[in-house]
This record gives sequence, C-alpha cells and structure tokens, in this order.
Amino acid sequence: MGGMLVLLGILSLWEGWRLHALRTQMVAGAVVGDDTFPFIVGAALLLLGASILFVAKPPQVKVARPSGEPRMRMILGAGVLAAYWVIVPYLGYTGSTALVSTGLFRAMGGYRWPLALLLGGATTGLLYLLFRVWLLQPLPTGLLGL
Amino acid sequence: MDVLSHLATGFGAALSPTNLMMAALGSLLGTLVGVLPGLGPTAAIAILFPLTTVLPPAPAIIMLAGIYYGAMYGGSTTAILLNIPGEVASVPTCLDGYPMAQQGRGGVALGISAIGSFFAGTMGVVALTFFAPFLADQALRFGPPEYFGLMVLAFTVIASLSGGSLVRGFAMAFLGYFISLIGLGPSTAEPRFTFNWGPLMGGVDLIALIVGLYAISEVFIGLEEARVAITQKIRNVFPRLADLREAFPAILRGTGIGFLLGLLPGCAPGVTVFMAYDVEKKLSKHPERFGKGAIEGVAAPESANNATSSAGFIPLLALGIPASAPLAVLLGGLLVYGLQPGPLLFQKNPEFVWTVIASLYVGNVILLILNLPLIGMWVWLTRIPYGILGPVILLLAFIGAYSVRNSMFDVGVSFVCGAIGFFLRRHKWPLAPLLLAFILGPLLEKYLIQSLSMSGGSPLIFLQRGISLALIVGAALLLLTSLALVRYTSRRVKEETAEELEL
Repeated sequence: MGGMLVLLGILSLWEGWRLHALRTQMVAGAVVGDDTFPFIVGAALLLLGASILFVAKPPQVKVARPSGEPRMRMILGAGVLAAYWVIVPYLGYTGSTALVSTGLFRAMGGYRWPLALLLGGATTGLLYLLFRVWLLQPLPTGLLGL
Repeated sequence: MDVLSHLATGFGAALSPTNLMMAALGSLLGTLVGVLPGLGPTAAIAILFPLTTVLPPAPAIIMLAGIYYGAMYGGSTTAILLNIPGEVASVPTCLDGYPMAQQGRGGVALGISAIGSFFAGTMGVVALTFFAPFLADQALRFGPPEYFGLMVLAFTVIASLSGGSLVRGFAMAFLGYFISLIGLGPSTAEPRFTFNWGPLMGGVDLIALIVGLYAISEVFIGLEEARVAITQKIRNVFPRLADLREAFPAILRGTGIGFLLGLLPGCAPGVTVFMAYDVEKKLSKHPERFGKGAIEGVAAPESANNATSSAGFIPLLALGIPASAPLAVLLGGLLVYGLQPGPLLFQKNPEFVWTVIASLYVGNVILLILNLPLIGMWVWLTRIPYGILGPVILLLAFIGAYSVRNSMFDVGVSFVCGAIGFFLRRHKWPLAPLLLAFILGPLLEKYLIQSLSMSGGSPLIFLQRGISLALIVGAALLLLTSLALVRYTSRRVKEETAEELEL
C-alpha cells in the first residue's frame, strides 16, 4: 500500500507540473491555479507512502485468504457481475438482469438452476415494477429496445 | 419565534402523505438492513441509496435520514440478541444487552434501547432546531479563508474515523483527495488525471464511489463470513415501570454525554457510547452488575449513540461538516441534489432544511411506534439466506450507480470501487476518511485557491483573519482531543472485544 501511495504521489506531482506549465502560459500573473492542489496532494501522498514503507509501518494485519466454497462463490459472483457490465448495453436492463440475477443466485447462493431461475425471474420482475413502472427510472434498453 | 414558525412550516411539509411515507419507508428499510448481522448504518445507507436517487430532494433526504435512524436501531437488535455489533458504536450495547437476552430479557433490552434512542434522538433534534440556525447565522460572515479554516476543521474528523491508526487515516484521506481531483480543474477547466479519456472528464461520481466502497464490498465480505440468524423468540418488548425507573437516569446522562461530545466535529458515536457506558458504571452503586445484564448498560450507550447522531446533524447542516461515516454518506446525498450543506443552505433552501429537521422528529416517532411491535418480523428477517440478500444488494447497487448520470461508466467505476473497498476493508484500511476527503476535496481546493488569489499567494491570510485563525487553532486543538478520545476508545474496544478499532 505504501508503494501504491508513493506512485500516486509521483503521478499527482507530475500532473501538477504539467498543469503548472499550462497555467503560466494561459493565465499571466496567476499565483495559484488547477496545479496547486495536485502539488499539495502529491507531496502528502509521497510523504505518507514513504513513511508507511520505511518509517511508521502500520501494524501488520493478518488476513486469511478465502478458501473453498466461499472463495468459489466470490469468484463466480465477481465474474457474473463483470459479465453484467458487458452485456447490459446489448441486451438492455431487463434481459440482462434476468440472466445475471439467475446467475448470481446460482453462483452466490448455490441454489439449483430451477430455483435460481425462479428467484431471478421474480427479482427482475419486482425491480422492473419498482424502478421502471413506479419510479420511471430510465434504464439501458439495449439493441432490442427492452 | 422565527425558528418556531419555520419549524411549523417544516412540519406542514414533513407531514404531507409523500414525505410521511418516505420517512416510514426509510425507517423500515433502514431497520431491515441494519438488523442484518454485521451491516451497520453506513452500509445500510449505501445499499439503499439507489432507491432515493429517483426522488425529489426533500423526500429523498427524509428517506435517507429515516434509513440512518432505522439502521442504528436495527444495529442494536443484533448487538442485543446476537452479540454482533454492526459498527463500533454498538459494542457497549452488547456488553449488557446480550447477557440480558441470555437471561430471557432480550425484549426488555430492545424496548429500553428503543425508548432511550427515541428520547435522545428527539432531544438531539430539539437542540438541532435551535442551535443549527444560530450557528449558520454566525457562519454567514465567512469569506473564502474562513471556509478554508472550516474545511481544515472538518479534516480533524479524520482522526476519529481513522480506525486507530492516524497514518492509515491520513493516507486514506489523501487518496480520497486524489480521486476527487479527477476531471476538469475548477479554475481553467483543464482536464486533470483523465489521460485524454472522455468518460473521466466528468470525474468520479460520488454515488458510484459510495455504492462500490460500502455496498458491493459488503456483499463480498459477507460471502466470506458465516452469517448467523436470530433464533430466539421475543415476547415482551415493553419494559416494566421498575425497569424504566432504573434506566431513566442513565438515558438522561447518556443523552447529555452523547449530545455535548457529538457537537465536536471530531467526535463520532463510537467514542461517546464508551464514555457514556463508563460514566454509568462509575456512578453505579453496583458496578459489579455491569457486563452481566445491567439495564443501565444498555440505556446509556444507546441514548448516547442517538444523541451523538442527532447532534451530528448540527455541524452537518450548519457548516457542512459530517462527524461520522453515515453522515458523510448523507452529505454526499445532499450534494447529489445540488444542495451544499452550510450556512447558505438555511438562506437559500429554508423550506428544504426545515422539512428535513421536522422529518427527524417524525422519523423518531415512527421508529418507536413501528419498530417495537414489529420486532418479531425483524427477527424473522435475519433468517433470509445471504445467498438471496447478496444478489439483491448487487442488483440494487447497479441501479444506484447507473441512475445518477445514466452512465454505464459509473457502473464500471462502482464495480472497481467495490474491489478496492473489499481489499481495503480486509486489510483494515479505514474507508470513512477516503469518503470524507473525496466529498470535501473540491471545496477545500476551491477555498484554498480563492484565498490564495486574494492574498497574492501568501498563506499568511489564514492567520491574519480572526475567524480563520480561530478555526485553524480550533482544528489543532480538536485534533489533539480527537486523538486522546480515539486512544481511549481504541483501548476500550480492545478490552471488551480483543479486536482492533474500526470506528
């Protein structure tokens, strides 16, 4: 984490430097601008990252890696979620939610396919009624306009 | 008189059928999520945020406030019946609430918790009614340097939200500031950190960030943990007169401690509940009863929790400073509707402010009259398998992230934030400072740039103006106070749970 903060700090300073050069070209005489805060944040991130890496290391937290069934559920759940993001623009909200909710019930809940289908269908229907019919929320319609 | 007439107008709006329904719905939904083991108010607001994004501002904020109160009440239920605190503020409730439940007095503990919360919450809102407008009036004299001082004061909140490690807290805060920089610069509209990628020009959406960090990560954390359900039958939730007589002084003291400390911007409920519990134990003629089912041990921290939460609305509405993670999410909600909490909110949107304040009174009453009779239903709801709840939360998260800007990019951002939030939470990096800094970052930058432009680049301007100097000195003092309080709370949490603090 310390290394990540150092990298972000360098990125912020670099962006500040780029913006500083632009400001001096665009706004003559301005003493502060869009570069000021990136400089401050960059310097702070650099210092904090370095201190975490070398000086004031926060106490190490032992984190047990998920294993067995929970790990499988997490991986499958994340995979289905990523697929959701990919298919929504094509299938639209309703079609993809029906598919994805069934997949999530199957992957995360471990339900058999018929029950997962039933739960997925019921959830999609309820969400459709709540958001599209009652709250008139605009949602992606996809290629088929659904 | 002016305040009372404003409040009367507020009640007129808060009691309209729509607003009343939203307050009731928020309280019920908040309790529903809060009662699920391990889920606290912050996660509850984040998960249910999507439902409010399609509403007009006043009903939406009323519903969010209801969710906040409801989730806190729900958290007490799991603390008392299962010995599982959703957030650190519920830890002291476990100490005597759970032994009471084991003795078959769980219903009475829940009843006292609800009555104490109602009393403290209402007292807190009364103080909010009279104190917040006064504070906002004073703040009307502020210019950019004073506002910058105020933002520095808000920064001290990070100390109490840092989970016991200041370095981690500040690291997360500056990460939040960094994320807030993405998009167009405020002075010249020059893209920053966008790498010429169009979708990043609009910056990171606040709701996508909240939904990802708190709701999506929560689902995956939940998958990892073995969830438990409440199996006991709760019969009588109405305390006897003798119970009330025993608990009432503790409720009064808890309210006082919670409210007074809650006024400090750096004092979260996690701190005040332990103070209230310890004071009660010290004042008791029979301190040996504490930890074994003393009713005062439930009444005092529960009252302190609600009093602090209500007091937190004062700096939130009057100055724009959230004192805790759930209030930071609420602040985010206000910003989504284009409402900037602070002194000008009382001037520009008085109807909105007073409707929300009035709805807090209404919400407290709704919680008391709905939740006590419904306790059996809440207990039953904890038996819903996580395999059903998890997917539903994820599907709601999708809509929440999408609905603010109708953008699939925001949905992607929320998924990425979910992964980051999962990693950070597992490794005990506090999320609240990141969120707070992300929200306050643009304001801090704006006031910094304006102030430095006024002074020709000299930072001495912050020390030359009385109010800004006082605010900066106040911030330094508050930081020291917060550090002492966090150290005290950290030690107490370790003593009671043998776990690290996660405020």
